[in-house]
Amino acid sequence: MRVTVDRDRCVGHGLCYMIAPDVFTDDEDGYGRPALDGELPSELVTSARRAVGSCPEQAIAITGEVD
Amino acid sequence: MVDGRGSEEISLADLPIAEDRDAAWRMIRAHGRVVDLGGQFAMTDVETVETAFRQPTVFSSKKAFEVLASPLPLVPIAFDPPEQTRYRRILQPFFSPRAIRLLEGELRRQLIEIIEPLAARGECDFVAEVAGIFPVQVFLTLFGFPLDMRDQLIEWKDAVLGLVDASGNTALEGAAAEAAMGKAAELFFYLSDLVAKRRGVAGDDVLSQLLCLDGEEALTDEEAIGLCFLFVLAGLDTITGSLGFGMDRLARNPVQRREIVYDPSLIPAAVEELVRLDPPAPFVPRVTTEETVLDGRTLPAGTRVFGYLAAANRDENRHPDPYAVNFHRGDNPHASFGLGVHRCLGSHLARMEMRLVYEEWHKRIPDYGVAPGAVPRVKWPQGTLGLEALPLVFPPSGAR
Repeated sequence: MRVTVDRDRCVGHGLCYMIAPDVFTDDEDGYGRPALDGELPSELVTSARRAVGSCPEQAIAITGEVD
Repeated sequence: MVDGRGSEEISLADLPIAEDRDAAWRMIRAHGRVVDLGGQFAMTDVETVETAFRQPTVFSSKKAFEVLASPLPLVPIAFDPPEQTRYRRILQPFFSPRAIRLLEGELRRQLIEIIEPLAARGECDFVAEVAGIFPVQVFLTLFGFPLDMRDQLIEWKDAVLGLVDASGNTALEGAAAEAAMGKAAELFFYLSDLVAKRRGVAGDDVLSQLLCLDGEEALTDEEAIGLCFLFVLAGLDTITGSLGFGMDRLARNPVQRREIVYDPSLIPAAVEELVRLDPPAPFVPRVTTEETVLDGRTLPAGTRVFGYLAAANRDENRHPDPYAVNFHRGDNPHASFGLGVHRCLGSHLARMEMRLVYEEWHKRIPDYGVAPGAVPRVKWPQGTLGLEALPLVFPPSGAR
């Protein structure tokens, strides 16, 4: 599975990279973006889901299956 | 009690907030998840607060702030999406963790200057001498105002904040209101003048950078002044309040205090826990824009509801043993910075301010207590909560 951040919705609250720093990172302006290219390791799935649930703008999506 | 809902009415005035905050939040929670305050409603649990705050067009912040009749646009809190989203996108980069980190060294230096003389003295009023002035210096530094404006800004800010009460209504009448409006006008003219001078002039501070934005992001003078006003209203007394409450809890919980003295890496977790227990702005207002159902109750359009964040933060479904001070909770998803699209713009800055104070204070003053005989009280009723004073005593640094 992978995570994506919708750049049109993200306004940079910064919760995703605080809650799941291994899954998300901040860009120059404080917007969140995926920290990893490609598939998410299974041990990070729980924190990725928490970040999705916490996003005030509902800008994060998880796609695909857990391996 | 029917269906877990309190039957008797309760008013804000019944809550013993001035003397015992924990008891006050316990009391309102015992009245149910949505509590009737006589035509207005308090939301006291996580689920209900989340439900409301995640529907920003049904539970409007804009409508909630209309009662203030502010002559300035209070950017961005007094707006709903999509205008609010535009403001948020413009402002957030200035308050991102990276942007804030650049200030850390300078703010730490200023803070040490504040704390060192107190350490040598052996006693202080923590609220007046640390918590009340550091956030003001942070604002001045961030916005590029001269630091010697500090006491003037405090006077203006206190006047403006005194204009409204805990329910967001006008708190003063007659001559007192006129005097406060006069101070608010002084602040307005100071900011107008500054905005005019900084417009288009390059500078490192947030205000100069905001005033250099062009195209779709350009802010009008009114918007820029409104933003400064909002920062003064939302970013100063909130930190003062949090720091006073935090140090009060640390003074009364020596076991937890020693934990952060011996292991300062626990301080970020302590910041979260202390701000969970004592959100300084615990009553967050919204007004419904249409008929809606909340926790099984039908609310007509135009109903005023408040997220009672300190109550929601004591929801045992989210926070086990919620009244305990515990720096080892790990995940601490409190609502003290709000929830949804209006979540606190300055949360990263606020966290850094609190972390710096706890770090620098405990390095110099690890052992302290509330002065014998003193009973710290909350200034009440007010929308932004804080202690009136927090007299602390400790061994003077020269004596150690």
